[in-house]
Amino acid sequence: MMNINSINRKLNKKFGGAVTAELTDNCIVLRGELGDWNAIVDAGLTAATPHSDIHVVNDIVYTGAQPEKMHMPTLNDKALDGDKPDVLVIGGGISGCSVARELSRYKLNVLLIEKEADLALGASGRNDGEVHPGVDLSKGSLKHKYIRRANHMYEELCRELDVPFKRTGQYACFTHKSWLPFVSLYAKWRRDHDGIEDTRIVMGDEIRKKEPKISPDVAFALSNPSSGSVSPYNLVIAYAENAVHNGARVSLNTAVTGMDVHAGEIKAVYTNRGTIYPREVINCAGVYSDVVAQMAQDRFFSIHPRRGTNSILDKKTGASFGTIASVVGAKTPGHTHTKGGGILHTAHDNLLIGPDAVETPERENTATNADSIARVFAKQKITMPTLTEKDIITYFTGVRAPTYEEDFIIEPGRKTKNIYHVAGIQSPGLTTAPAVAQDVAAYVAGLLGAEKNESFDPVRKAPPHLAQMNDAERAELIKKNPDYGVIVCRCEEVSRGEILDALRSPICVPTIDGVKKRVRPGMGRCQGGFCSPIVTKIIAEYLGVPLTEVKKSSEQSPVVFESKKGGRGNA
Amino acid sequence: MHDYDVIVIGGGPAGLAAAVAANESGAKVLIVEREERLGGMLKQCIHDGFGLRTFGERLAGPEYVERYMDRVAQSDIEVACNTFVTRAEKTDGGFAVTLVSREGLRTVTGKSLILATGCRERSAKQVFIHGTRPAGVFTAGTAQHFTNRLGVMPTKKCVILGSGDIGLIMARRLTLEGAEVLSVYEINPTPSGLTRNIYQCLTDYNIPLHLSHTVTRVFGKDRLEAVEVCEVDENYKPIPETAERIECDALIVSVGLIPENELAQSLGVELDRHTGGPVCDAQLMTKVPGIFSCGNALHVNDLVDFVSESGAEAGKNAAAWCGAKQRRVDISIGDEFLYLVPQQLDLDSDNSKTVFYFRSKKVVEKSVLRLKINGEEAWKKTYPFLRPPEMQQLTLDMSKFDIDENSDVRFEIEVVK
Amino acid sequence: MKQLVCIGCPRGCRLTIEEKDGEFIVSGNSCPRGKAFAVSEMTMPKRTICSTVKTSFPDAPVLPVRVSDDIPKDKIFDVMREINAVTLTERIGRGDAVIKNVLGLGVDVIATSDLLKQK
Repeated sequence: MMNINSINRKLNKKFGGAVTAELTDNCIVLRGELGDWNAIVDAGLTAATPHSDIHVVNDIVYTGAQPEKMHMPTLNDKALDGDKPDVLVIGGGISGCSVARELSRYKLNVLLIEKEADLALGASGRNDGEVHPGVDLSKGSLKHKYIRRANHMYEELCRELDVPFKRTGQYACFTHKSWLPFVSLYAKWRRDHDGIEDTRIVMGDEIRKKEPKISPDVAFALSNPSSGSVSPYNLVIAYAENAVHNGARVSLNTAVTGMDVHAGEIKAVYTNRGTIYPREVINCAGVYSDVVAQMAQDRFFSIHPRRGTNSILDKKTGASFGTIASVVGAKTPGHTHTKGGGILHTAHDNLLIGPDAVETPERENTATNADSIARVFAKQKITMPTLTEKDIITYFTGVRAPTYEEDFIIEPGRKTKNIYHVAGIQSPGLTTAPAVAQDVAAYVAGLLGAEKNESFDPVRKAPPHLAQMNDAERAELIKKNPDYGVIVCRCEEVSRGEILDALRSPICVPTIDGVKKRVRPGMGRCQGGFCSPIVTKIIAEYLGVPLTEVKKSSEQSPVVFESKKGGRGNA
Repeated sequence: MHDYDVIVIGGGPAGLAAAVAANESGAKVLIVEREERLGGMLKQCIHDGFGLRTFGERLAGPEYVERYMDRVAQSDIEVACNTFVTRAEKTDGGFAVTLVSREGLRTVTGKSLILATGCRERSAKQVFIHGTRPAGVFTAGTAQHFTNRLGVMPTKKCVILGSGDIGLIMARRLTLEGAEVLSVYEINPTPSGLTRNIYQCLTDYNIPLHLSHTVTRVFGKDRLEAVEVCEVDENYKPIPETAERIECDALIVSVGLIPENELAQSLGVELDRHTGGPVCDAQLMTKVPGIFSCGNALHVNDLVDFVSESGAEAGKNAAAWCGAKQRRVDISIGDEFLYLVPQQLDLDSDNSKTVFYFRSKKVVEKSVLRLKINGEEAWKKTYPFLRPPEMQQLTLDMSKFDIDENSDVRFEIEVVK
Repeated sequence: MKQLVCIGCPRGCRLTIEEKDGEFIVSGNSCPRGKAFAVSEMTMPKRTICSTVKTSFPDAPVLPVRVSDDIPKDKIFDVMREINAVTLTERIGRGDAVIKNVLGLGVDVIATSDLLKQK
């Protein structure tokens, strides 16, 4: 059991009295002041017991930098004022959107709010998209509880929601043959004891027969054929669109600014778009989930943001490598908590390299750094020696939202009764979301006494992707809509028709990035160099606004400005 | 029978010149262009200086290319605009090209294929600029498209990275249009663009050029707010102590062009790692018989006149090509070269007017260009200076040398100390 | 003595110019254009301008233009103001004048494309 004295002894030894722990409301509350963020994280991890439900609330003041300001929408209106949904879902990431969709199976008035201009702009859209097998998860954790059930759901789910998914399999590679007996035992343990039933050992030569790019130095690997790749942002968008199709509502650019809590109950939720009066609130706020919990007077955990950077390589590389591979036991500098990262054949047939893991005080700092990429490549070149930074077409950083216990929090409020937390969701949170959402929705629906929605339709259609069709199908579609025959993005072969479909989709995000995420113009090797002016023009024409009104992402991100021409009338 | 003798992919200056030349040689020609109008990048290159070699006039880009478009219009060349090549395959004695357009899908066949697919720009990510992903990061070509074709401004106050010609031209264009161009930064110790463009685009408008400097980072979550600029050491590594933050609303990158050869590669065409374009013989035929390459797809040119010349050469030869067997010999180059085109000679073709295009790897003063055959000097020419941004063109009668399939044919540059 | 770069052609000759007894001595040029350029740089530097004019046609919001001959360098921004003032309502063609005798400089602003004719 939790011994607060022993925690204080450990903290004292490390921080010489600068940090103290106290058991309050069944939480370990840390207090003090430190100028080094890594030390603050270290204090949190020192005080935490992995997977425990007695959480660390880390209130150590960071004196090393100004606190980060939350990125807020500029919108200010009363569109949602007085709205009384049965369920208010806070956060448009994988957790929020999957929960909203599962809730739409019930007769409930569901409203999802997201502070950014699009869905999946946090960790849900900025990860490697791996559907994990759970080979590294230990029994007893929530992560383990959900992983196999969710992993098996992917074929059907992605068929229903029309989301790119590939069962690629995964190799965790070892270079020292002498480790084989130990790893074999480990594999057996994983298989028989932990229920990761597809775990097996494969020898290097056998791997290289299928994947010739794998290094000759790889002696053997732990193989999990159940691993896969999904397009993470497409899954989030698909979930949300299907929720909307079944009656849920999604409001973007909507941020929670506060809550009115009385006698352990949320009475009102304040936003930049008016005051909402929900019966039940579901906290899916990702890196801000502890902040939302605090607003609900129900804070019993802390999030410590952890950055991870991934690189995307030219599609040419994807053609010669069809799986997920990583190397085990390779030392990399700055390595902390990470699933190790690897080389991954994405659902869109690129290769993805990464991620790394770096603790950060900034929840929203998705800026990339050169050293992240250098570090990740150095490591992954051990598995694939032909890997080169020259093939990189882009890179991005996501910020994970772990708790100090490094497990999910999926439970009702402890002090406030009408909130449910889906928090601390980090890897493999994308994989587990489909199963977690079912359980959360069933619990909340039960709580609210909701009936089944008999007209629920699980099927969502994505805009067609013509480049992947055969000639006959493609010709048929172009006949119906000639715009499908006008190619706008040459690298990904995206037509004007597909771009217009994205703009007409159930959750219209008429921005360069919004269209890019949905139908991929600009995702290829030229990164929008050729097509971005044309896409800008199509969006402007669709909206009936001048080009200067088109945004890249948020309201404050115009693509272009007005010129000084045309002052005086005719020549 | 084939639908066409020659299918030209790309309707820019190279493709147009190729089509005209092939047509003049009596071939039945189709031009496939993915944009709505012919003209390629010259539609947006509204600055002048084109055509001095070809027409003896200083023309703007559209004027230059429309002269070729007029000739196409007056001929029986077929043109398919708004049409995209989704795939191309080798067939028995020719090629089948599958086209996508508003009319649907169709496959056309041709005896020979000319790849005039141009080049694309290297992006900011490809030169490892880090930081956030705001609006306001453009390649020079994208900024040019917005400014010159859509009539809107990509920036009010910007920094340009890269002193390539498009970057320099855009510095002047944006200044004329009322934007403030704070500086141009170039990672190399010497400019990447033509000297006259430094003079007439930067010096004329008091825009400073900082050599051995690069942009390392962009700031701003929504629209770009600032960039970080660093001096670099001799290994092109940024020196952190020199980092400077510059407030602006856009970063325009002009950091190199990459020949577009994805279609070529899908047809098994071998590329030269120096040029990024296909390995060709003097007739501009790639190593796949019947496939020709020209213009910026072959290697990145700095003058459109050369693009048109290579197009015409490819067009003429593609029309004449009859599937004869070839005897090819490689032409090797010394380390002092950035590249040399063509990389091979076909000994059964007429090589009496072989046109070579080359660039030196570094800026060098007085130098001797030598052709060595089997280690013996066969020919030489002295140059007062050679600069990588300034491509050299050279016509040589290669038929007069004693070359067979086993010959070692090599060009070297010797710097005279 | 002054150093210049000739902009007459892409060769970019580095010119040296010296004034001696009211006469200019140019060296470094490879052709007569270089000498002419150097002298004009010392007396009345001239430049060309290429730009666009706004049109009233949505299919081509701007039309490329240039001056029909070089203009004094110090008039560049004055001519730009004139160019920026125009909105074309006629589908004119390549070589047609957009502004005749701009600012009385004896040169026209002319269209450099048939863009408007091709729709």
